[in-house]
Amino acid sequence: MHQRKLTRRGFLQGSAAAVAAVTIVPPHVLGAQAGRPPGTAPSETFGGALIGCGGRGGGTFGQMKGMGLNVVSLARCDVKFKDTCDNKTIYTDFRRVVERKDIDIIAIATPPHWHALISIAAMEAGKDVLCEKPMTRFVAEGRAVAQAEKRYKRIFQVGTFGRFGMARQPDNIQVRKILTSGLLKQTEALYVAQRNFKVKEWSGKIDLAPEPPPANLDWDMYCGPSTLAPYVKLRTGMTHRGYWDYDGGGLGDMGQHYMDPLTWQFGLDGTAPVEIEASAPPAHPVVAGMWAWAKLKYANGFTLVLESREWGEPSGLASKGVSLADLSSALTDADKAKLKEMPDPRPLVPFGEAVKTRQPAGGNADAAHRTVCIMHLANIAIRMGRKIRFDPVTEQVIGDEEANRLVNQPMRAPWHL
Amino acid sequence: MADINALIAKLPDLDKSPAVKGARSSPGRLTGPPWKDAQAIYDAVLAEGAPAIVQIIKTLKEVDDGADFKARYLLHGLALYTGLGEKKREHETVVGAFISELAGDHPKAVKGFLIGELQAVGGKNAGDAVAKYLTDPQLFADAAGALLAIREGAAEHLRAALPGAPAGRCRCQIVQSLGILRDGASLAGLQAAAEDGDADTRIAARWALANIGDAGGVKAALKGADAKDWERIQGVKACLLLAEKLAAAGKKADAAEIYGYLESTRTDKSESYVRRIAADALHALK
Repeated sequence: MHQRKLTRRGFLQGSAAAVAAVTIVPPHVLGAQAGRPPGTAPSETFGGALIGCGGRGGGTFGQMKGMGLNVVSLARCDVKFKDTCDNKTIYTDFRRVVERKDIDIIAIATPPHWHALISIAAMEAGKDVLCEKPMTRFVAEGRAVAQAEKRYKRIFQVGTFGRFGMARQPDNIQVRKILTSGLLKQTEALYVAQRNFKVKEWSGKIDLAPEPPPANLDWDMYCGPSTLAPYVKLRTGMTHRGYWDYDGGGLGDMGQHYMDPLTWQFGLDGTAPVEIEASAPPAHPVVAGMWAWAKLKYANGFTLVLESREWGEPSGLASKGVSLADLSSALTDADKAKLKEMPDPRPLVPFGEAVKTRQPAGGNADAAHRTVCIMHLANIAIRMGRKIRFDPVTEQVIGDEEANRLVNQPMRAPWHL
Repeated sequence: MADINALIAKLPDLDKSPAVKGARSSPGRLTGPPWKDAQAIYDAVLAEGAPAIVQIIKTLKEVDDGADFKARYLLHGLALYTGLGEKKREHETVVGAFISELAGDHPKAVKGFLIGELQAVGGKNAGDAVAKYLTDPQLFADAAGALLAIREGAAEHLRAALPGAPAGRCRCQIVQSLGILRDGASLAGLQAAAEDGDADTRIAARWALANIGDAGGVKAALKGADAKDWERIQGVKACLLLAEKLAAAGKKADAAEIYGYLESTRTDKSESYVRRIAADALHALK
């Protein structure tokens, strides 16, 4: 019996024979998935699978090694494997992968329209999940992932880790502590995020003639829950991001990276904005396009402004009141004394530790969902061309039934949440 | 009537330069006009009423290769613009044109576009027109999606379509849609679908019954939990969902039957997580 040392390159190049030759005993055999006490598997080796092998795939899977997880690749799945699929180690249908009893952890790096469904399916099958960003394509998907995480008591971590670094800095801890303390009933704090949202780069194209899909691509499975649109090459590869069927443009794709640390620092990962407005041209029904800014206000008055700097006029707003000094100055001496008595936020649990100890991961489904909802709601305001109001508890748009249709979008059978 | 083609042409062309430097970029992206510029075009079209909108629809081509992108973009813009609140009458005109042309002589792909627009902005009055495509081999998914978005009156249309729905994806689409709507009047149809020859339809039917939360779904859910592989995983999902709903509705005995079954039958180590969930839930019921 031996353990094969995996590198990222080794994973990507791993032949079916080499993968099949792995004979270690994964923890699932010993009941690890049922929440066994850590350390009872002699190998501490986990059976792993990667679903979605292009783009970030290899990197996503390889990351787990750096998290202290010895994950052995047992399967790879991609809709582009139609011509090489053997249903032993190489698959086109993720359902065949989640059925396998020897797989403990699934890394997901498909386009985003598959993220929620595969995450849920994996957790239903007892697997833990490391899922690339953005976590989801629309609001209702995220809630469904969080429900699956809770129902099946699985570990979920989204593939953005900025909050872990943020949560190690004492000043950031204090900012979060103040903003989540309840001592500031209302805050005028405003944060303007000017980031590289890749608005133009990840906008879609609408002047392409449909063509037959490549022989190695299962196009129906690629489209999955989304409309079975005629194939054009730019709907696949990295450029899928420009099509509403699969992603939310540069905002949807990059936003979770940028907002993940901030939602932790500002204590926004347990709620959602209540008023959202945007400046953008009229939206196209098929492709993501331009936008200038989106303003998202929370119930406590905290306002987050996203600026693209790629179209139109900027918001004209400047960040104010988010520094520790500004927030502290808003507290009375009595409040400061109370704050001192309050415990610091619990340290975020890295994915590897979460898998072994069965504690929720720092980027768990609920927190990741609240973060990605910022981008989903901004995109709804952009797509509707109007201000919307949102209920963070019911997760529904208030008083705008047409905007609400983008909160929970229909899926093509047999896929549903 | 104003020259509609001239109004369509007023919308900006696609970008002539690449969005950004780099291999992935190329010309042909849509920047779009500011709202105030677009509104002038929308108002000019709306001033001509439904015939103008119908005329725009008639310019749509079967193949969406960008040649008619301005017309598609204009129609979607009209739908959004009139949905802003103060333009209820104009909104009805736009939606009415979509509905009337859905029954017209257009290629299937154009009808798919119209159904997509009705999914975005249609109301109950679009139901009859959309429902005609619930069993269309090309458009059933679009039609079901639009009805789910419209919501009001959707269950009646889907329920009526179920008996005649072709086996496979189409029937599955209708079954899962009824589940999403939690249509209690569909229990018998869904129970029959839970015995369908198509595995995806059986899975969807068991889930639909579970989502409705009626004790009449217990038998189907438990049968699904005894299936193999993916169908088994999904059968357990239906069991847990149904048990949660029954417990929440105070039907503890029915919920306990499901949890008890899972606790006693998930004996393989690979399913111990299910056994533990069921045991915990049983304990919580007491």
